[in-house]
Amino acid sequence: MATDALRSQVAAKWQESFHRLNSDAPGISGLMNFSEAWAISTQYLYPWDINNASLDGGGKPFGKDLNVARPAFSLVNHSRRLPALLENFLDDMRQNFYLIENEINQFMERYEADEDTAEIDPLITKLMEWYKSWAPPQELGSTFFSSYTLNFQTRLFSALPPSFAHGFKKLCARLLSPPDDDHAQWDPNIHAEVWKNFEILGLIDRYESIIASVGYEFIENHVLSKCTGEWGKPMLEELRVWMSEKVVPWMLHVYARGASNAEEARSMLQGVGSRFDFHINKTLCDLRTREIFDIIIDFPDSMGALQDLKDCLQRVDQRANLVRSLRKSNQKRLLHPGADTKLILQQYVATIKCLRIVDPPGVLLFKVADPIRRYLRERPDTIRSIVANLVGDDDGGDSLVDENEPIQPLQQPEFEDYTDPQWEPEPIDAGPEFRTNKPGDILSTLVSIYDSKDLFVKELQVLLAQRLLMITKDNSDRVERERKNVEILKIRFGEAALQVCEVMLRDMTDSKRIDGHVQSQKESVVHPTIISRHFWPSLESSDMVMPGQFKQLQEDYAHEFNVFKPDKTLKWLPHLGTVQLELELEDRTIEVDVPPLEAAFIELFADQAIWTLDELVKAVGAVDRSAAIKALSTWVDHGVLKEDPENTFRLLERAEEPSEAVVRERDLAALPVVEDTPAISVAQQQQADQMRVYWKFIEGMLTNLEKLPLDRIQSMLKFAPGYDRSIEQLGDFMEAARREGLVVVRDGIWKLNK
Amino acid sequence: MKVTVKQWHAVAQWRWDTGHSEQDDDGEGDVCGICRVPYEGCCPSCKMPGDDCPLIWGECTHVFHMHCLLKWIGTAASKQQCPMDRKPWLTAERKVGSAPVS
Repeated sequence: MATDALRSQVAAKWQESFHRLNSDAPGISGLMNFSEAWAISTQYLYPWDINNASLDGGGKPFGKDLNVARPAFSLVNHSRRLPALLENFLDDMRQNFYLIENEINQFMERYEADEDTAEIDPLITKLMEWYKSWAPPQELGSTFFSSYTLNFQTRLFSALPPSFAHGFKKLCARLLSPPDDDHAQWDPNIHAEVWKNFEILGLIDRYESIIASVGYEFIENHVLSKCTGEWGKPMLEELRVWMSEKVVPWMLHVYARGASNAEEARSMLQGVGSRFDFHINKTLCDLRTREIFDIIIDFPDSMGALQDLKDCLQRVDQRANLVRSLRKSNQKRLLHPGADTKLILQQYVATIKCLRIVDPPGVLLFKVADPIRRYLRERPDTIRSIVANLVGDDDGGDSLVDENEPIQPLQQPEFEDYTDPQWEPEPIDAGPEFRTNKPGDILSTLVSIYDSKDLFVKELQVLLAQRLLMITKDNSDRVERERKNVEILKIRFGEAALQVCEVMLRDMTDSKRIDGHVQSQKESVVHPTIISRHFWPSLESSDMVMPGQFKQLQEDYAHEFNVFKPDKTLKWLPHLGTVQLELELEDRTIEVDVPPLEAAFIELFADQAIWTLDELVKAVGAVDRSAAIKALSTWVDHGVLKEDPENTFRLLERAEEPSEAVVRERDLAALPVVEDTPAISVAQQQQADQMRVYWKFIEGMLTNLEKLPLDRIQSMLKFAPGYDRSIEQLGDFMEAARREGLVVVRDGIWKLNK
Repeated sequence: MKVTVKQWHAVAQWRWDTGHSEQDDDGEGDVCGICRVPYEGCCPSCKMPGDDCPLIWGECTHVFHMHCLLKWIGTAASKQQCPMDRKPWLTAERKVGSAPVS
C-alpha cells in the first residue's frame, strides 16, 4: 500500500530524472532529443561486422559518422547517462563477439593444419582491425576506452584456443632469430609494428613467460652451436657481445616498450637483462659440465673453456653438479681395469691442474680426486708408474710433473697456521675431511696418495738398481744421468731417504775405478759392477756356477781384486749382467750379447756337442728348469743349437736350412738379446720371502695344537716380531701353502698335511 | 766350436775378509758387536760403507767397525778392553788373505 510519503518520494525522483534528461527544454522536447542522441550513440558504438558492413551513402559503414555522433555523445554525457551507454555497449560487444571468435577459429584451423606461422601473422593483423573498428572514440573519455580494452582483451583471451600459444611462440621466435643467411641485413626494427600490435592486444603481458622462453631457447641454441667442443678460448665475452647485438634489440621491444630514451630503456632492461645473462652463464656452465672430462683430456689446449667455467660457476651455483658429472665420467671412462695406470695418473694430474684453475681453493678437486686416489691406491703398479715417470723412465709418455715447475721438497700435510694474517677459512662447501693442498706441487699430491713416502723411496731404489745394473762399460756415462736424477729426487724426498741410492751410485764409480786398476795390472774381459750388498735392494739369489773359461775369468779377476783390496773378497752374482760372445763355428761366426746363463750353456757345448736338458742344468749348478729352457731356446733361435729329440740339444757346427737360419740370425742380430726381466726381486716376491720366516711359526703352531682356524693363526702370529700382515694376506699365504701340499684345510680349519 | 768372451759385464758383491771366511752366503753375515750393523754396512756415524768405514781386527779375533771401536775405547768405562771378552784391546796386524782358523 503506497503511502503519501512514498508517493511523494517517487514523484521527486521522477521529477529529477525527467529534468536531467529533458534539461530545461520545454515540454518533452528535451526528452525527445535525448532519445535521438541515445539512438545515434548506440548505433555509432555498435560492434559491427567489419567483414560484412552495410554502408551508408558516403561509403562509410552505416551510422559511423563521428561528426553526427559527437553532439549526441555530448548530450548523453551531459545527461549523465554515459555509464548506461557503456553498459549497453559492452552488452552489444558480448553479443557480437562471436564474429571475432569465428574469425579466430578459421585462422587457427588453418594453422593447426599446417603449423605455419604465416597464419598467425594475418590473424594478429585482423584482430587489430577488429579492435580498432570497435574502439569507442576519444570523446567518451579514457574510462570508457580502458573498459573497452579490458573487455576486449578478456574476451579475446578466452576465445583463443590453446594451440595459439604454441603458434605465438613460434611467431616470436621467428621475429627474434634472423634468417640464417643474411645476418648483416637483418634489422630487428622491421618488426616494431608487430610488437606494437602485440602490445595493444595485451598479448605481451599475457604471454610474457612464453616470450621469455623464446629468448631462453634462442640463447641456448646459440650457445650450444657456438661453444660445443670449442675449448680453445674463453667464449663468455663473445657471447655477451652477441647478446647485446642480437638479443637486446629484440628485448627492447618486449621489455622496454614505451621507454622514451636510452637511459630509461636501460633501467627497464636491467632486471630481464641480468636474467638473460644468467641464462647464458647457466647454459654454458651446463655444457662445460657435460664436457668436462674431455676438456681435461685436452688440457692445456682447453684453457679457454676452463676460464669460462670458472666465471660461470661464480654466477651459477652448479659446483655440486660439476663434481657429480666429473665423478660419473671418471668412474665410467677412467677407473676401470682397461685403463693403463699411466693414463689414469696423467688424467689425474690434468684434473688437478684443471680444477685448480676453476676452483683455486681446491674444494672441487678434493671431491673429485677422492675416488681416483682410492682407485690408484688399489692398483699394484701405481707407485712403479709414478717413480718410473719421476726418473724419466717413461717410454715416450708425457712427464707427469711439469719440468718448469720448481723442484721443491715434498709437503707434508700441515696444520693450519692461525697466526697467519693471510689465513682464510675453508670454503663453505668443503667437507669435514677437506684438506687444503698448497697449489703448485703435483708430486706431493701424487705421493700423498699413499700414507708414507717410504714406499716410493723403496720403489725408487729398486728402479735405480735395475737401471744401474744394466749399465755396462760402454755406456757408463749413464751413471752421471742417474746421479743427476738422484740429486733432483733428493730435493724432493730428502737427503736421508736417498742415502741408499747415494751408496749405489758410489758403488758404480768405485767399480769403474777398481776395474781400471785391475785392468792395468792384468787385462781382463770381465768388467764387473761391485756392489755393497746391504745397500742394494735384495737381489734374487742363485746357485748358478759358471763353467769352463768363465769360472777361470771370475777367479782371475777376484784374485786381482784381492791383491788391490787385501781386506776384501769378491762374491760373484753369476746370474746377473750380460756377456758379449763370439762363437766361431765351422761355417760361420756369430756375435751376440746374452745373459750369463745362455753363455754358460754355450760354453758347455764347446766341449761336447750333445747335452740333455738335465745334464745341462746339473752342469751349471741349480737353475730353474724353465729358465734353462728359455736360455736354450735363445740359442735355438740363433740357429746354434737344435732340440732333437725333445730335451736333448745338439750343436749345429754347420747351419741347417741355411736360408731360414740366416734370415733369422740377421733379424736377431739386430736386436740385442739382453735379459730385460728385472733382476731385482719385485715387492711381491720379497713379501713372500718374508712370509717364509713366519711359516716356521705356523708350522710350530700346527704341530703343537694340531688344527687351527685362520684367525687364531693370525692372532698368534701377531706376537711374532715384525709381523704386520693382514688376515687376507695370511689367507693367501696359507692357500699357497696348501697348493704346495704343506697344509690341508677343512671347514676353515687348517692342519698340517701329514 | 770356439767360444770367445769379448766382454763380460758381471755383477759381484764385495765382502770384508774377516777371517771367518766360511760364513754362510745367505746368513746376514757377521755383525759388528757394538752397533749390531753388518760389517758390510756402515757404523752409525758413517754414510758410506766400505773403505770409508773400515773394520778393525783385535788380537782376540774380534772384529768391529773401526769407528765403533775407537769410540768405545775413547770412553772411560772401556778400560781399553775389548767389549766382547774384556781382554785388553790390541789391534791385530791386518791379515792378508789367509785367516787364522779359530
